[in-house]
Amino acid sequence: MATGSRPAKRDEVVDVLIIGAGPSGSVAAKHLAQAGMSVVTLEQGHMPDRNDFPGRKPEWELVTQKQWHPNPNFRDRPRDYPINTDESDVHPLMFAGVGGSATIYAGHWTPFLPSDFRVRSLDGVADDWPFSYEELLPDLETVEREVGVSGLPGNPAYPPKMSYPTPPLPIGKVGRKAAECLDKMGWHWWPGTNAIPSLPYNGLNACVRRGTCMSGCPEGAKSTTDITYWPHALKAGARLVTGARVREIEVDDRGLATGAIYIDEHGRERRQKAHTVIVCANGVGTPRLLLLSKSKHFPDGLANSSGLVGKRLMMHPFSAVMATFDEDLESWRGPFGQNIASFEFYETDEKRGFVRGAKWGAMPAGGPLGATSFVGTKVFTDPNAKVEDMWGPHFHDMVDRRFGHTMVWGIIGEDLPEESNEVLLDDNLVDTDGIPAPKLKYKVSDNSEKMLKFHEDRVLEAMQAGGAIETSVVHQMADTGWHLLGTCLMGDDPKKSVVNRWGQTHDVPNLFVFDGSTFPTSGGLNPTATIMSVALRQTRHMIAERRNQEAA
Amino acid sequence: MAAKIDDKGREAFAAFADLLIPAHKKMPSASSVGVAGPLLDEVLRLRPDLQEDFMRGLEAITGEKAGAAANALYKDDEAAFNAMSLVASAAYYMTPQAREALGYPGQESLTYDAHAVPDYMVDGMIERVTRRGAIYKSTPR
Ligand SMILES: Cc1cc2nc3c(=O)[nH]c(=O)nc-3n(C[C@H](O)[C@H](O)[C@H](O)COP(=O)(O)OP(=O)(O)OC[C@H]3O[C@@H](n4cnc5c(N)ncnc54)[C@H](O)[C@@H]3O)c2cc1C
Ligand code: SF4
Repeated sequence: MATGSRPAKRDEVVDVLIIGAGPSGSVAAKHLAQAGMSVVTLEQGHMPDRNDFPGRKPEWELVTQKQWHPNPNFRDRPRDYPINTDESDVHPLMFAGVGGSATIYAGHWTPFLPSDFRVRSLDGVADDWPFSYEELLPDLETVEREVGVSGLPGNPAYPPKMSYPTPPLPIGKVGRKAAECLDKMGWHWWPGTNAIPSLPYNGLNACVRRGTCMSGCPEGAKSTTDITYWPHALKAGARLVTGARVREIEVDDRGLATGAIYIDEHGRERRQKAHTVIVCANGVGTPRLLLLSKSKHFPDGLANSSGLVGKRLMMHPFSAVMATFDEDLESWRGPFGQNIASFEFYETDEKRGFVRGAKWGAMPAGGPLGATSFVGTKVFTDPNAKVEDMWGPHFHDMVDRRFGHTMVWGIIGEDLPEESNEVLLDDNLVDTDGIPAPKLKYKVSDNSEKMLKFHEDRVLEAMQAGGAIETSVVHQMADTGWHLLGTCLMGDDPKKSVVNRWGQTHDVPNLFVFDGSTFPTSGGLNPTATIMSVALRQTRHMIAERRNQEAA
Repeated sequence: MAAKIDDKGREAFAAFADLLIPAHKKMPSASSVGVAGPLLDEVLRLRPDLQEDFMRGLEAITGEKAGAAANALYKDDEAAFNAMSLVASAAYYMTPQAREALGYPGQESLTYDAHAVPDYMVDGMIERVTRRGAIYKSTPR
């Protein structure tokens, strides 16, 4: 299906073709169209309809364990592509549609910190970014206004910056209790910043704390680009084609990109020509597409002369700590963004035996079925228990103890890049259009293991200090690959990176990557704020340089 | 579409569900809130992926004594046990009776004053954090 004010002309060559309408592609589409460029975006998923989201229905918890599970392999919708994870310790999570994976994200808004751009200089590992926190800040501040972030200014974990467009969300009883625990330890905490406005903003309604954010917000309150970017992009003339799965980026004899071949939702093969192509299909989808685009000029995949396309996959090993308290915390209430966050142990301290750190976010625990699960996966149970231990009167007592009284801490540890962690093409697996699916090889590193253990112990200390009556740790959960980064490295040296500091591939001057694939390092926090800011930075540069852009 | 479940099957499921979720303190039993009635068909319709495992489990326990049958199923066919126990507990917590007894209003919408001054701003909690000063490492020059 195509939407947009200007109907498509067959064989029209547009200025820019964008592949993927998630947060990164949406930022590019809106700003390029507003700058007067002709833009077509191809998206394999559809425009979400908030009435389809299950949050208002009694079966909400039941369907979040299947149809709304964040793992596409498990969810198995026709617009998802399958991913071979047999050799991956972490399972990638994503969603196909306008708004991308953010349709089901939690909205934790945590921009990278200054040190995240300088890991090599500060810690002697990985790489520095080609630009700094300070250089990206103006783009971040613009994005925060477009997204409608809610939060309290003055967080001492960050350098001073512009305040947020809406006040912080109520931290609720969960946030209050979590803050009291950290306060007892004298540790940093701050009311959660979230991509969820507390007041009506840019087409979004104010959050009403329904708490079903991770299966789509039925209130239209969680900031996703179908609401915050696309109405502006379409008004400015951008075209959006949904149900369009790209299978190859084409090149001409000179090795310049000419557009893409896609399969429309009726299974017909189509071609969209463009002077410039931007890939925004995420850290798995982008390398998959480049590896699929083999040709005479590019026998190892497009823009892959460095051999780094697909390598250095970072997914943020993640641990969850559940803590139950005597007090009623109303812990089914939302938002399922972060109620509070802590950066106390974010920066490196060599004495801990590992480098870099992690952000903690405190979240509610959901409804009664959530008493044993986290984000659709049953994890808070004893695998060795007998039927009677888990059920009967014990079941009621367990639910009574935990339901409404429990918070879950998410620990997001920085994942350092390693070339052995990679996205490849699978030899057998294909999507519903017959296009080869990706395969992941990914091992959690020793540094990550140590880091997660350290952080779990610190969270437990704080929870115990605050009077938790029951705690439980899920060390390095598998279904937590919500952050897909690093697989098209950005850098200055064409031999050692895939794109330059402006997201332009070294090998194909009119092919760009604007998503998190380009990240040299992952930070130890949720990346979407930075993904959108980098996309805006690269878009602004593309607009400024439009007259100098080489094209097929 | 789910296979039709006859009265004997429903009876067996009710006994199984009551074993897992009996009446206890303030909470009603699973069968008393109707988990083996039309709600069972509704849950299986909502989760077609559970149907096969569920029906296999149901067949295995029908006509057996609930306690022994549940334990045997757990040992011999955990997938069937998991499907049946999820259907039972999900159906249970979808009922107004169980929700009310537990004190769960469901995922409701709430209004609040976004401009109200939060407690942590006035009781010294946030001040203690800011007083400790910046904790980030600056960009090295
Ligand atoms: C469950 C979950 C929770 C999360 N929570 C948070 C959070 O709290 N905070 C945070 O910062 N981040 C969170 N994230 C991560 C966040 O969603 C991503 O960082 C963000 O969506 C990345 O944006 P993107 O545009 O780069 O990629 P995506 O959002 O993944 O969008 C890529 C788009 O490209 C499309 N596409 C891919 N391949 C093709 C193709 N071949 N043809 C056509 N279209 C294609 C896809 O359908 C998709 O819509 C979460 C993610 C998940 C899954
Ligand atoms: S808590 Fe807020 S953002 Fe989340 S689903 Fe409810 S209204 Fe939407």
